[in-house]
Amino acid sequence: MKKNKDSVIDYLCSVKLAIFLLIVLSVTSVFGTLIPQGEPLNFYQERFNPTFFNLIKLFRLYDAYNSWWFLTILNLFSVNLICCTLKRLPLTIKLLKKNILDTDAEKISRISMKKTIDITNNNDYSSKIKGILGNTKSKKLDDGSEIITSERGKINYLGVYILHSSILIIFLGGILGAILGFKGNLMLLEGEKSSRIINPRTSEEIPLGFEVRCDKFAVEFYDDGRMPKEFRSDLAIIDNNLEVLKTQIIVNKPLTYKGITFYQASYQSVPEISIEIEKKNNKKETLKLSAFDTINIPETSLSLGILQFLPDVHGVPAARIWISDGKNFTDAQWVIKGKSKVFGIGTEQEFKIYLSEVTEKFMTGLQVKKDPGVWIVWLGCAGLIFGFIVVFWIPHRRLWVLIKDNKILIAGQTNKNQFQFERDFDMICKKIEETAKV
Amino acid sequence: MDINSSLLLSLTTFVYLGAAFFYLLVWVFRLEKLGIAATLTATLGLFLQTTGIILRWIESYKIGIGHAPLSNLYESLVFFSWITILVYLFIEYRLKNRVIGAFSTPFASLAMAYASFSPNVEDTIKPLIPALKSNWLIAHVVTCFIGYASFAVACGVGIMYLLKKNESFKSSYLINSFPEIKALEDLNYQTIIFGFLWLSIGIITGAIWANEAWGTYWSWDPKETWSLITWFIYATALHVRFAKGWGGSKIAYFSIIGFFSVLFTYFGVNFLLSGLHSYGAK
Repeated sequence: MKKNKDSVIDYLCSVKLAIFLLIVLSVTSVFGTLIPQGEPLNFYQERFNPTFFNLIKLFRLYDAYNSWWFLTILNLFSVNLICCTLKRLPLTIKLLKKNILDTDAEKISRISMKKTIDITNNNDYSSKIKGILGNTKSKKLDDGSEIITSERGKINYLGVYILHSSILIIFLGGILGAILGFKGNLMLLEGEKSSRIINPRTSEEIPLGFEVRCDKFAVEFYDDGRMPKEFRSDLAIIDNNLEVLKTQIIVNKPLTYKGITFYQASYQSVPEISIEIEKKNNKKETLKLSAFDTINIPETSLSLGILQFLPDVHGVPAARIWISDGKNFTDAQWVIKGKSKVFGIGTEQEFKIYLSEVTEKFMTGLQVKKDPGVWIVWLGCAGLIFGFIVVFWIPHRRLWVLIKDNKILIAGQTNKNQFQFERDFDMICKKIEETAKV
Repeated sequence: MDINSSLLLSLTTFVYLGAAFFYLLVWVFRLEKLGIAATLTATLGLFLQTTGIILRWIESYKIGIGHAPLSNLYESLVFFSWITILVYLFIEYRLKNRVIGAFSTPFASLAMAYASFSPNVEDTIKPLIPALKSNWLIAHVVTCFIGYASFAVACGVGIMYLLKKNESFKSSYLINSFPEIKALEDLNYQTIIFGFLWLSIGIITGAIWANEAWGTYWSWDPKETWSLITWFIYATALHVRFAKGWGGSKIAYFSIIGFFSVLFTYFGVNFLLSGLHSYGAK
């Protein structure tokens, strides 16, 4: 039984499992790129045959990367990473603690890359060699000989840990962002403000803790008149009834306030309709409102609203307007631009309504996000690259120089990139040889 | 006649095809004397192409929509071929062996030919949509394509390794001129490592950019996912060395499979799947 348990643990720690999981991840990641993600279920029912639709439902292939099986693979991957690390760590610590001076003439002479130089004069080789190698350690042996050592890139042994833990740090950042952060949309008419946003998945409202106002939105086109060049929103932040910030955002230049970031995502153009109301006593009022808006008619207790707006009815805009006294509604009537219609609730309150002008008003579409985990993700990304460079481009190189009986023995070892090391080793040998000749 | 970027880049296509032809001659017919001509042709192509890319950059400013020439399929193909030739010439200089040229310059010339002649590839300079207007554009595209080009070279070297290793080709003089099997294995591994580093940086710069443009550093968009799949494949290749008994052949196979994944990430996603990167298609 114990043996079985050990072999399970061994397998969890193995590179083989890592390779297997990487292959599984690359294969399973494909599904979500072939099947459109995040659509409502009936979308799939219409497009796929029943068997395949049932598979999609069973394995949540409509949201593959958040499905139980994909997260299981990712969890297993993390466990494997942690196990591999823990298993190798004692060995690495031993390697790190290993003192390069802890050697003798016998061991040095057994290293395969070495060179012997004959001493021909009485120079102080010890200090000269130390000067050439730089950053050396040395010890004198009982027989009067001396060992000088130098090493570089011990960090190489740590590289793989930096690299692997960085992947876990990225996961951690992602999880933290998902737990502590939120994402939502906000549509704001020019002049409008809001203190809450909508979560697009659940349609729930999320309070921001302050207000954001859109003062102006503009869209700029290239000369061809079709392709958008820039979307701009002038935003203001109102915190505790104080306007604390005013700034302009464009795509790729968001605004962040108190950890919440506002991105320019989309826009809509909303018609703004000017209406002239002529009361029975010939008094005229001009009102401005958007489609779906309701507005009070001044000096009355009546309200007026637009049920529907069409920008182009045989070339002319038209609005379907109603009036209400709070209890009763008039029939909604179509009013065409430049024409008027008579509306009435009772006989006293009769109005002539005239649609004088239609202008365009913009509504900016903002993507709003709070993600306290994002810096942890970036930290992980930096660590990943740094660790990778350390693993592959900072080799651990060791040099030993033994000065004994009119001979200098130079030996070297590296754990990566033997080819380059051989060239550098030859260079060092040449330099030491030159001092021996002087 | 005015010298403009499209003239220079069309010319590059023919020069690269010529260079690929020379490298193939050097390899197949052992025309060692043509070796210098092959290298010179490739270098001339690189010079023409570099000038063409710079001119195209300047021209985009002249028509008032200035941006780096890295914004659509045509421009990315040109850049891919440029960096492939650059990586190859560096390897040729280091290894003093031109046979690899027969396996990597064709990639570069085919990319240029596809960019220049395919009706699917629009080669006019187009303005950028707001989402693409970012300093991260250059960093993201350049890093990704250094990765892609290294993987192209790794794939070519991987094929060479497998040919050299195959017993039935032992006596073939075509294979005998390849570098030593140890050198091929090493180069295969080194180019994968190099490409992997740049692909990683490419994915990260893409994530930073996405976070700045949309507020999401990772959205499992098909392009993102396929770049991650590619990353998984090469990560597997790198770990294969540590598993017992899995030698150079396995890594060579991975470098070929990996390059198919690169090609799918690059073209397949744009033409077959839809997503955030679909503007890259035309």
